[in-house]
Amino acid sequence: MTDSSMTMPPVLSARNVSLGFDDTTILAGVDLTLHPQEFVAVVGASGVGKSTLLRALAGLLAPQSGRVEIPAAITRDSRAWSMVFQAPRLFPWRRVQGNVELGLEGLSLSKAERRRRALEPLALVGLDEFAERWPHTLSGGQQQRVGIARALAVQPRVLFMDEPFSALDAITRRRLQQELVELRRRTEAAIVFITHDIEEAVLLADRVMVLGNGGMDQPARVVEILEVDMPLDDRRDYPEFAPLVQRVETIIGSY
Amino acid sequence: MMVGMTRAQRTLYSVLGLTGFLLFWELSLRSGLLPGSLVPLPSSIPGVLWLELLDGIWFDVVRSSLSHYSVGVLLGSTLGIAVGISAALLPRFNAAHAWLARLLRPIPPLAWIPFAIIWFGINPSAAAFIISIGVFWINYFASYSAVHSIDPGYDEVARAFGQQRFLARLTKVSLPAAAPGILSGMRAGLGQGWMTVVAAELFGIPGIGQRMMEASSLLATDIVVVYMLTIAALYATFDFLFMVVQRRLLRWQS
Ligand SMILES: Nc1ncnc2c1ncn2[C@@H]1O[C@H](COP(=O)(O)OP(=O)(O)O)[C@@H](O)[C@H]1O
Ligand SMILES: [Mg+2]
Repeated sequence: MTDSSMTMPPVLSARNVSLGFDDTTILAGVDLTLHPQEFVAVVGASGVGKSTLLRALAGLLAPQSGRVEIPAAITRDSRAWSMVFQAPRLFPWRRVQGNVELGLEGLSLSKAERRRRALEPLALVGLDEFAERWPHTLSGGQQQRVGIARALAVQPRVLFMDEPFSALDAITRRRLQQELVELRRRTEAAIVFITHDIEEAVLLADRVMVLGNGGMDQPARVVEILEVDMPLDDRRDYPEFAPLVQRVETIIGSY
Repeated sequence: MMVGMTRAQRTLYSVLGLTGFLLFWELSLRSGLLPGSLVPLPSSIPGVLWLELLDGIWFDVVRSSLSHYSVGVLLGSTLGIAVGISAALLPRFNAAHAWLARLLRPIPPLAWIPFAIIWFGINPSAAAFIISIGVFWINYFASYSAVHSIDPGYDEVARAFGQQRFLARLTKVSLPAAAPGILSGMRAGLGQGWMTVVAAELFGIPGIGQRMMEASSLLATDIVVVYMLTIAALYATFDFLFMVVQRRLLRWQS
């Protein structure tokens, strides 16, 4: 994060948010403030409530208490937020192009503008040649890239990503992680990135938010927030990298 | 499929089977094994068809039946799909009509003939009404289960990309996602329509059914067979044309 971005108003703020289903609370007391271009990774054991938190931050799920605000309003040609899911979840009945245009529909864009706005992020993820293809003719990694392009096309102020690379093979995952590092330079969006891969979190994020169990019959909570103070390029080569990964692992292991 | 047969071999066996059947039928009649009053000679059918065509009778009855069929199928499909989709999307509506549907569903289309006559009289509307009933149920259940079993993940995608309005979700998720199921329901309905069309005309509404009834009362079994084959041919044609459209609409499927 740059100092100038800190002086700008936040693009997302969550205050004392609690989440759950029916009368059980699974996650409580979450505070989060995000500024433009910030990248927060959320890690925690499977089932701790990461996806639920993300859906609540996006407004897809009402919190049991507390408040979530994404102050940015929908504009003429962009949306306040968008999301990349764990599975690509493309619409198989739309071509790649049509899938990327989904979020642009309903904005004040002409057909030609929509087309251009879809091709841009497709080129960014290296798939502009595939615009006319049906999703089922793409590999899993390519489909996930289309999902990323679809989310970028609306030029969101906040981009939510829910374990976007976890279903991919190791090689594709590495490549997409690298692409995401590149992407951060070209987008204004703040990113909330969920992963159970701690190394991935440390590799990509400015901050790592660790969720852990609150104890017997208690809802999960944020147990630690760590700053990652490394430049983005080739983080794996820094001496701080491995110890930080180790530290997060220890924290998660103790909850 | 049988192992070790080429396509040509299969076709050959099919042709042999069919001609063998016709030959057996023809010879049984000629040899007196079967009484000629019960079934016509296969070899007489083309000539009888030709006469029906020359008289213009064939065109008249086929035109009438086609119009009952089209109206019935169109009505039954449209309503069946509309009600089926609504039931799957609107829980209150679904609950409200569930028992009514369970009550009406087992009633066969032909059981509606008395009411069709009382409500519409002996005229084409009555036939179309009866045809539409069977078609309705097939489309209703196909559409309901197609929409009901859509992956809820697609709806979440729609909401995440600003398409949360009912109409947007209907046109951008529900309809395309359910299209394979809806279309196979429509195709089954097209077949079901032909099954009721004859019965719906038996009580005096002009059409293929009435012509068959007429012919059977004169023991003209050859004419009856001409129209049985006519229905088979019409069914095959409609089914084929629909399949072409269906393939085109679902070309996104793997
Ligand atoms: N729709 C739901 N209804 C009830 N419980 C749910 C629902 N979705 C998730 N949960 C529960 O909430 C908890 C957190 O789930 P989730 O947020 O998916 O975890 P994570 O993403 O960290 O693996 C789990 O115990 C899960 O069973
Ligand atoms: Mg999850």
